[in-house]
Amino acid sequence: MLKSISPGGYNITSGTFSPPVFVEEKVREIREFVGSSKAAIATSGGVDSTTCAVLAHRALGGRLICFFMDTGFMREGEVQEVSEMLRSLGLPLRVLSVKDRFMEALKGKKDAEEKRIAFRETFYKVLSKEARKEGCEVLIQGTIAPDWIETSGGIKTQHNVLEQLGFDTVKRYGFRLLEPLLELYKDQVREVARYLGVRFEASERQPFPGPGLLVRCIGEVREDKLKVLRGATLAVERALGSLKPTPNQYFAAVVEDERVVASPAVERAVQEILPGGKVEYFKCRATGVKGDNRAYGKIAVVSGGEVETERLFTLPERIIHEDGEVVRAVYKLGESTVGVIGSGGVRRERYAVLVRAVETRDFMTAKPYRVPMEVLKRLCQELLKICGVSSVFYDITSKPPATVEYE
Amino acid sequence: MRIPVVFLGGQYNHLIVRALKEIGVESWMVTPKVRLEELDVDGLVMGGGPHSVNDGMERFGNLPQIVDRGAFPMLGICLSHQLIGLLLGGRVVKGKRPEYGRTLIRVIEADEIFQGVGSEFVAWASHNDEVKVDGGKFRVLAKSDYCDVEALRHERKQIYGVQFHVEVAETPKGKDILKNFVNMCK
Repeated sequence: MLKSISPGGYNITSGTFSPPVFVEEKVREIREFVGSSKAAIATSGGVDSTTCAVLAHRALGGRLICFFMDTGFMREGEVQEVSEMLRSLGLPLRVLSVKDRFMEALKGKKDAEEKRIAFRETFYKVLSKEARKEGCEVLIQGTIAPDWIETSGGIKTQHNVLEQLGFDTVKRYGFRLLEPLLELYKDQVREVARYLGVRFEASERQPFPGPGLLVRCIGEVREDKLKVLRGATLAVERALGSLKPTPNQYFAAVVEDERVVASPAVERAVQEILPGGKVEYFKCRATGVKGDNRAYGKIAVVSGGEVETERLFTLPERIIHEDGEVVRAVYKLGESTVGVIGSGGVRRERYAVLVRAVETRDFMTAKPYRVPMEVLKRLCQELLKICGVSSVFYDITSKPPATVEYE
Repeated sequence: MRIPVVFLGGQYNHLIVRALKEIGVESWMVTPKVRLEELDVDGLVMGGGPHSVNDGMERFGNLPQIVDRGAFPMLGICLSHQLIGLLLGGRVVKGKRPEYGRTLIRVIEADEIFQGVGSEFVAWASHNDEVKVDGGKFRVLAKSDYCDVEALRHERKQIYGVQFHVEVAETPKGKDILKNFVNMCK
């Protein structure tokens, strides 16, 4: 990891990143590494893996096979859209329908890291078996800088990071590993994508994590919860995707709407900023990053009160000063007026939807995107129509102390 | 111009390399085990990391010796800022009100490192520990509402520490501060 970083596409005199230089260098590197054997690449249709696939295809032509896994955690209609997009880029594609394998591996797992590790292991078991069948000896991956930085820093286990954890991929999974984009950040990957002629839908595509909706289904994953999340994702993407400028990332997450009380000190702190406001915590935890350390902490749930929107964003810091276990705060936009408590005190509508939108260059730090309140209110009404949604929240936390995604 | 970055395991260490390259400097990562005589460089930047300087010095390899004897300008960021504070005789303690995210930096002593960035600017920080004002052989250059030593400088030499992160996109003046440092290395 600490090998001296090569010019890697940087023009040393001007300091600018040059996609043509980068591509030329990497094409040569890929050919040398693969030699006369065949290589596999797994792509999710996201910017990084798609760009990496096109780059590898340029280097290897017919000696590359591109796998696309339907893990069951894709968005509505995404499996078909992505398959078509990858085919249109001329990539030799194999689609693997392996939903049940993933659901089985994740059953009963609530902890974010356990979920990520179960995802990774299933992912490579499936992939290495299929790649071997095709006679591939090399696996190429679109891992980028934040992936290995977060994984080796212990912030979160990205499913595509192996060697940086000290894994011998030949022994463990049966292939040699090559990661041509390792030194790049998202904005640079997009530059490379544009240079390679990757179509707009792919090069400017909204980032989507490899484990997909799994990491936005906070806590245990279940079919009904995933269904709520798919509906919420559609609504959020439609409402926030048309904002100008477009947030660098925006999505919905879902969590059981079960809450516990916060301490009086935290309540006082919230009252200072938000007179008349209330604060509770979700029972479920989420991932954060504080002082370069992973934090798996509480989500503060703030509601009510009256305040100008900008001051809301000072709440997370104030709350954390009173309770160091908090990693993020969300603000209530609305709740279901029907059937919050069903007969016998059982909740019928049981899930809270969290709306997240951030502004970021490289995903290493991020600030909450200031979505206009009227847009949020309208979106909230849309979300409350989804069966199973009890309340809707807007995430007001920067990275740090939160991360962009929840797990 | 050659300015490597010492990798201490922090989230943004690699972003420092990127920022230096964007300024037009030849930059790469080295580990704290690097020896002073191996450093054929014009300057040195040391990154942040997840540890505390109060948990022992092993993780910092040869950095104490390099800070003591290196004949080139040095800049420590976050954890390395705390390391420099400690090595210059100061104290590092757990902050009562840790900063994660946005903070407002107030420059309290003019210095070439802050040339052209104004007396107040927004920066991003992420730290649990902080350097105390008193006792060290350094000058305090900047502070914030929650942290009294946001920037420090060796009494005589061009050895600097900043508690906040100049290398992240959310510190808009960060690149200017890094450029000021690079200019000292010429």
